[in-house]
Amino acid sequence: MTTVLRRYGTLIGFAAIIIFFSVSLPDTFLTGRNWLNISQQVSMLTVVAASMTIVMVMGDFDLSVGSMASLAGIVAAILFTMGFSVPSAVAIALLVGLAGGAINGILVSLIGILPFIATLATLTVFSGVAFLISGGKTIFGRDIPASFSGFARDGIPLGTIGEQSLSLPYLTIVALVVVVLVWALLEQTTFGRRLYAIGGNAEAARLSGVRVKRLRLAAFALTGFGAAAAGLMYASRVASANPTQGSGLMLNAIAAVFLGMTMSEEGEPRVHATLVGVLVLGVLDNGLTQMSVDSYVRDILVGVIIIAAVASSSLWKRFR
Amino acid sequence: MSLLALEGVSKAYAGVPALRSVSLDIAPGEIHALMGENGAGKSTLIKILAGVVAPDEAAISVEGRAVTIDAPNAAFAHGLRFIHQELNVVPTLSVAENIFLGRPYPRRLGGLIDWRQLAEQARQALARLGISHIDPRHKMGRLGTGDRMLVSISTAFLDTEGAAAKIYVMDEPTAALTGDESERLFAVLREIRRAGGSVIYVSHRLDEVMQLCDRVTVLRDGAVIVTKPIAETPQDEIIRMMIGRAVDHAYPEPMAAAGDEAALVVDELAGDGLDPVSFAVKKGEIVGLAGLAGAGQSEVLRLLMGADTVRGGRVRIGGIEGRATDPAAAWRSGLAYVPRERRSEGLVLSRPITENITLAHLGRFSRGGAVLARRRERAIATARAAEVRLKARGLGQRCYELSGGNQQKVVFAKALSVEPQVLLLDEPTRGVDVGAKFDIYSLIREWSARGMAVLIASSDFPELLGMCDRIIVMREGGIATSLSAHGLSEEVLLTHCYGHHQAIVSEGQPALSAGGPAS
Repeated sequence: MTTVLRRYGTLIGFAAIIIFFSVSLPDTFLTGRNWLNISQQVSMLTVVAASMTIVMVMGDFDLSVGSMASLAGIVAAILFTMGFSVPSAVAIALLVGLAGGAINGILVSLIGILPFIATLATLTVFSGVAFLISGGKTIFGRDIPASFSGFARDGIPLGTIGEQSLSLPYLTIVALVVVVLVWALLEQTTFGRRLYAIGGNAEAARLSGVRVKRLRLAAFALTGFGAAAAGLMYASRVASANPTQGSGLMLNAIAAVFLGMTMSEEGEPRVHATLVGVLVLGVLDNGLTQMSVDSYVRDILVGVIIIAAVASSSLWKRFR
Repeated sequence: MSLLALEGVSKAYAGVPALRSVSLDIAPGEIHALMGENGAGKSTLIKILAGVVAPDEAAISVEGRAVTIDAPNAAFAHGLRFIHQELNVVPTLSVAENIFLGRPYPRRLGGLIDWRQLAEQARQALARLGISHIDPRHKMGRLGTGDRMLVSISTAFLDTEGAAAKIYVMDEPTAALTGDESERLFAVLREIRRAGGSVIYVSHRLDEVMQLCDRVTVLRDGAVIVTKPIAETPQDEIIRMMIGRAVDHAYPEPMAAAGDEAALVVDELAGDGLDPVSFAVKKGEIVGLAGLAGAGQSEVLRLLMGADTVRGGRVRIGGIEGRATDPAAAWRSGLAYVPRERRSEGLVLSRPITENITLAHLGRFSRGGAVLARRRERAIATARAAEVRLKARGLGQRCYELSGGNQQKVVFAKALSVEPQVLLLDEPTRGVDVGAKFDIYSLIREWSARGMAVLIASSDFPELLGMCDRIIVMREGGIATSLSAHGLSEEVLLTHCYGHHQAIVSEGQPALSAGGPAS
């Protein structure tokens, strides 16, 4: 019974949140339209949190994902102004993410700086570069090609209910694809298995022939790549890019991974659990906005929920 | 009247009984041995006494008065003192601060810490063990393993106000000590006995127990098999009671003679703190690396594995040039490694048994080296687990739940997951119970008979003499000599380890065991 509570406490809490909003917002909350809306709202966070899960499996962090997301959006937007096509600008922005992640990886694994410090430093560097190349201004309007910003507004039509037509947003599809890819990477490949071994005991993994440095570097590079992808999704959604628009993603992504970790047997990050964490945050956001609750109150609630979930999980562990 | 009496102590973990109605009484002025295989329940019993684990049922009395021990400070208040097997030290604090961990520091006027008094009391605690070479003001991290253990032990002898110490509980206190250090500890224990105090003594070293203890209680599968005076209990009877069957020979006989072909040739291999070493191991040969603690045995194995930086020299494995730049390369070139510290170096404790077994050659048990092939993994893990006679609920069980002996068997299963050409073993049976030890020795024999070369670094000299064809003696970071193990005695081997000039052979106690200023 207690183990059930411990492992499923977060899920039970999630269900309680849904029931609460369903009762409070009987007409709007439990509708297909709202849930499609939520799925789109959380799609960027989903991509960042799934990418963050990759490094957190090794017990590491990446604090720079938010500023990398901003930087990637800015890079793409600037390339648009220079006349680059959408595919090439997107590809270059993603490569910037991969390179930035690789820099994190080099600092952490080859030079041996603690991830907290290394990525805190690159957080400010990436953010500074984004401000520098954009001149601190928001790039929007005609500079952003319609095919780029249109992507976030379109989706696969699902049919009509009443007078409204529903569609599955492309952003949601991208997020789901990323989750599935990260899941396959972490759960179904030797790469993922070795990352979990590093997270459990890095020295034992090394002595067992796991190339710890190389894998850590690769994992950070992938996280940077994911952060850049999320930044592009964000830029597409708001049809503009500014050097601070990704800054909220990092803390929420870490929060989502932590919420997910409370659901796994050994407190290890799992990407499907991270997805639940993302949904908890996204649903809360959506419901509270609809109830016209102040966003500052929402911040307080998110903090309390994280503490409650992690505290109950570690308390159960102590008394088992 | 007994000084300490336990009655009907029971404890189950998740429905699996660890202790079944155990009763134990300790008389004043006795050293009482507690023996049993790993997983027999000794640790659980000690943790209950220490107030770390809550028993399901227990009646405990001290000097005839019923007591409840529900927290470590309750145990302390009833006069119990503990020396745990695992070293629990804070390397960044001084020796004196470590000794006083969890105790009130001496104060000066105004509540400030009286550092001089602190150092003085720590020095006195050390002096009770006859230790004068450790400065209480030095950082703990500067001390070697043996000295750290001595400091941990001295903690139990700290004079503190309030509760007087009556009963000392010691879990493998000599595991990291040299012969001399052990002897000094024994002298202190005998003094405690003379003064009417008692000691509960846990050790895998039978000779120590025979020499030191008055009575022995044997635990098996969580139940007391017998409590008897040592004088009436021969050594082989204790072993039989511990494992529930007779072990005819402590070491299995060789099954085949070594081949002629060299499996491993090491030429002038050098690393930090190690003179260049050269030697060869033939197919099917078992070679030992002996020496005092820190003489370089572990370092040779670590260099071969590429775990430490290699500074020069050549290595050939099965005739192919293959000096390892990192452990990954070493495993691929046909080496397999059982590291010295199984919990911190050998296993990923939080992961399942299967994942640990397949970790070293994961690429081979996958599709194209990238995608996991779980069925293939399970097949090899099942086969190897059976071969090492692993006892576990299932192969999905997390390794931290296993006893020490079974954990070591998982490390062996990993080393043998793909048949290696050369098996490198560092302290392969340390902290492993008698039954599991015999299983491991049999395994080494079986695999060596198939033509695998084995290199064992061990501080357990009887083990080296019982298993090896040849023993390489290391002294101060270099190879001193190489001896045929045939007809070699422990005394002669030890003499070689010390060097001819200062041959010291301690009586009875295998000084052979680890210790001294370790790395």
